Amino acid sequence: MTSRKLSTWTLAALAVGAATAFGIGSGTVLSLLTQATIYALFALGVGLLLRQNGMVSFGHALYFGSAGYVVAILMQTRAVPAEAALVLTIGGLTLVAFVLGLLIVRVPGIAFGMLTLALGQMAFLTASRVRGLTGGADGMTVEWPSTLFGVSISVLTRPSVMLLVCWSTLVLVLFALALLLRGRFGGITEAVRDNEERARFIGIRTLLPRAGVYALSAAVTATAGVLSALNTGFVSPESLHWSLSGVALMMVVVGGTGALWGPAMGAAVYFLAKDLLGDHAQHWMAIFGVALIVATVFAPQGLSGLLQQLARRRRPASAPAAAEPGPAAR
Amino acid sequence: MLIHIFNGIVYGALLIVMCSGLALIYGLRRVVNFAHGALYMLGAYIGYSVATHSNFWVALLVAPAVLAVLGVALDRWGFRLLQDRDPLTVVLVTFGLLLIIEDGVQTFWGKANLSVPAPDLLATSLDLFGTPVPAYRVGVVVVGAAVALGLTLWLRYSRAGLFVRAASTDPTTTAMQGVNTDALSATVVGLGTALAGLAGVVAAPFLALSPSMSSDVLIDSFVVVVIGGLGSLAGAFIAAMLLGLIQALGAVWLPETSMLLPFLLMAGVLLWKPAGLAGSRT
Amino acid sequence: MSDYVLKTEDVAIHYGGVKAVDGVALTLERGQIRGLIGPNGAGKSTVIDAITGRCRLTRGSVELAGEDVSALGVVERRRRGLSRSFQRTSVFGQMPVRKQVELASHKMGAADSEADADEVLRELALDRLGDVIASDLGYGEQRRLDLALALVGRPTVLLLDEPMAGLSVQESHDLAKHLQALTTRRNVSVLLVEHDMDVVFGISDEITVFELGRVIAAGKPAEVRADRRVREAYLGSAA
Repeated sequence: MTSRKLSTWTLAALAVGAATAFGIGSGTVLSLLTQATIYALFALGVGLLLRQNGMVSFGHALYFGSAGYVVAILMQTRAVPAEAALVLTIGGLTLVAFVLGLLIVRVPGIAFGMLTLALGQMAFLTASRVRGLTGGADGMTVEWPSTLFGVSISVLTRPSVMLLVCWSTLVLVLFALALLLRGRFGGITEAVRDNEERARFIGIRTLLPRAGVYALSAAVTATAGVLSALNTGFVSPESLHWSLSGVALMMVVVGGTGALWGPAMGAAVYFLAKDLLGDHAQHWMAIFGVALIVATVFAPQGLSGLLQQLARRRRPASAPAAAEPGPAAR
Repeated sequence: MLIHIFNGIVYGALLIVMCSGLALIYGLRRVVNFAHGALYMLGAYIGYSVATHSNFWVALLVAPAVLAVLGVALDRWGFRLLQDRDPLTVVLVTFGLLLIIEDGVQTFWGKANLSVPAPDLLATSLDLFGTPVPAYRVGVVVVGAAVALGLTLWLRYSRAGLFVRAASTDPTTTAMQGVNTDALSATVVGLGTALAGLAGVVAAPFLALSPSMSSDVLIDSFVVVVIGGLGSLAGAFIAAMLLGLIQALGAVWLPETSMLLPFLLMAGVLLWKPAGLAGSRT
Repeated sequence: MSDYVLKTEDVAIHYGGVKAVDGVALTLERGQIRGLIGPNGAGKSTVIDAITGRCRLTRGSVELAGEDVSALGVVERRRRGLSRSFQRTSVFGQMPVRKQVELASHKMGAADSEADADEVLRELALDRLGDVIASDLGYGEQRRLDLALALVGRPTVLLLDEPMAGLSVQESHDLAKHLQALTTRRNVSVLLVEHDMDVVFGISDEITVFELGRVIAAGKPAEVRADRRVREAYLGSAA
């Protein structure tokens, strides 16, 4: 997609967001949409790792929850102004993820997944037990100051404004990622993903790009974590639990990774389905388990992949285009 | 002190039963069965139902049997159908299965913590070097040892065991030699899931039944299997004991950090030797 | 002081009990084509692996333009102008043809990677398939892509592992011509592992013959062809 098209889409998306945020009156609906947007951002991080590195993380909630906790702790200690805390949290976690990434991206195959699961659970257990710092299993409230970036907190936490903020963040992050991945970095990471050995043989040092993608995926997920802390004003160990990572992963699989926005679509489907399920929502785990299995087996390119295929069929193709890769390109 | 070491051994024994199933399935099918913890939980809950309607000993037979059937089905319609796909596909399917089973258990048995009393025969305490220990727990250790021994002997000396070892190393050639790899696969996976079920029933009297039991034990199982080396039974046995002891002793001496030790150990092993301590392939 | 663009001395690669390569000495001069022939399993690919840094040397050394590179990794050797193609096609499955070739050129430090990539793609008749995803290519096309990834970026030493496998007679012929042109026009040096004897004997300046991990003969094509040991081991007395 050209830069111009990308910019147009971005602006259009922002406009739609504004219209929705201020057009919808129901607080409940706005709140639901906000949650969906936050999860979409979370899933985007997980999807980025899968798409660019071909690696599956079963523990990305580590960054989602940690972001919330770090912000909460910084607010509590009033060590820095709130605006700085936000930047420090995301930046700090990205740095940590990069260093961690340098170590763990070397672990091949499913062992990587198991390691991420272990790391995530480690964080969960720590948060649950260390009462003094994190409030333990009860969680902790995030003490936001009266203004944030010049805007009063009461205005910011209004459902419509909150949705606008979260949606705009999602759109801008997608925009930034699309730009970044168009360039060299995107090409290099795709090459490493497709064939790490050959990548080395054409002169690519493979460790740094992979750690970089890991860090980037952590940054995106951490941003979602910060937004969540802003949205609910509260953070608890559940935000670190592996089941949350699992839900995000499911969104990625259902939405597909062929398109960058695939995981966001998966999140939308998840929330829509959960809402539609109504009473049956008690059994959401089983239903989503089935959805995951069906998607993985029958539609590995996900909903976004299916949509892209449909779009391609409508347009007479100038060059033969391939089906997008499955859940993970080797 | 002795009681803690003993408890460590008990948990280690349980992990042996649990993880050998995981290791077997990985060794033959190269699949990390994310549903293994859920199968363990299912075994425990089925055991509970059977035990409350008849007795514990029947449960000890029925639950693994049911899980074995499930395992064969899983192999036939899950692993075998997907064997040519990206390995991640199967893992995700087992993950989906995990969600389904967890929901099923919650629906059928509710979310409350349930307990299964130890069978009367073992509801006494024995004397271990001067410390009284529940006889049941000694029974658990016996089961663990029996499983370890049984599996080792089976793999070493039986024809099926030989085929399993061959198929684990080179499935194509083994099939070409006329070994019915499909039947073999069904046997091994069925055995693996049966072991998970057995672990569940055995665990029921001394660990409470709760909806979170599957994830707790799954993580520990992963740690064991990874440290021991994916696919290596001997490695899993050693790592299981190690983890059991670390957990038990750590809980006493370093309560805050003891829960982190298994993960740190796993992380350490994976970073140093991505194939695990005993395993030669990832 | 060696004028050799590439030199190996007493290179050995042992895996456990297996001596895949046992004491191999090779040289390659600027602009020269050296053919490596020998039965399957003789160690030819392993020697290439050793030279490129894909596997560790049990013994011996590898020199590139007089510099000992034995301790250097794959990437460092590539950056010194060493490039290889693979016997088992190794390309970037999900990337379009042109994108990956251009990336390879760029990583080799080519000043104008786009033009360089286009030129190589044209030479290998892949220019019209530029936007095709690699996994959608036919077998022969993928082999040529594998080669393109090796040829791009103006390497100084090319190690080609059975490049003709999977190519038609015409394609083989064209590739052979292209390799000759590369050596004369750009002074590229080539180490060529091949089973197609017509090609090897046709374009090589020198030939080295392998058997069971060792060199059993080396020299000009005519000498090698006449060598008794080589005929017994490999060519057959009718050659």
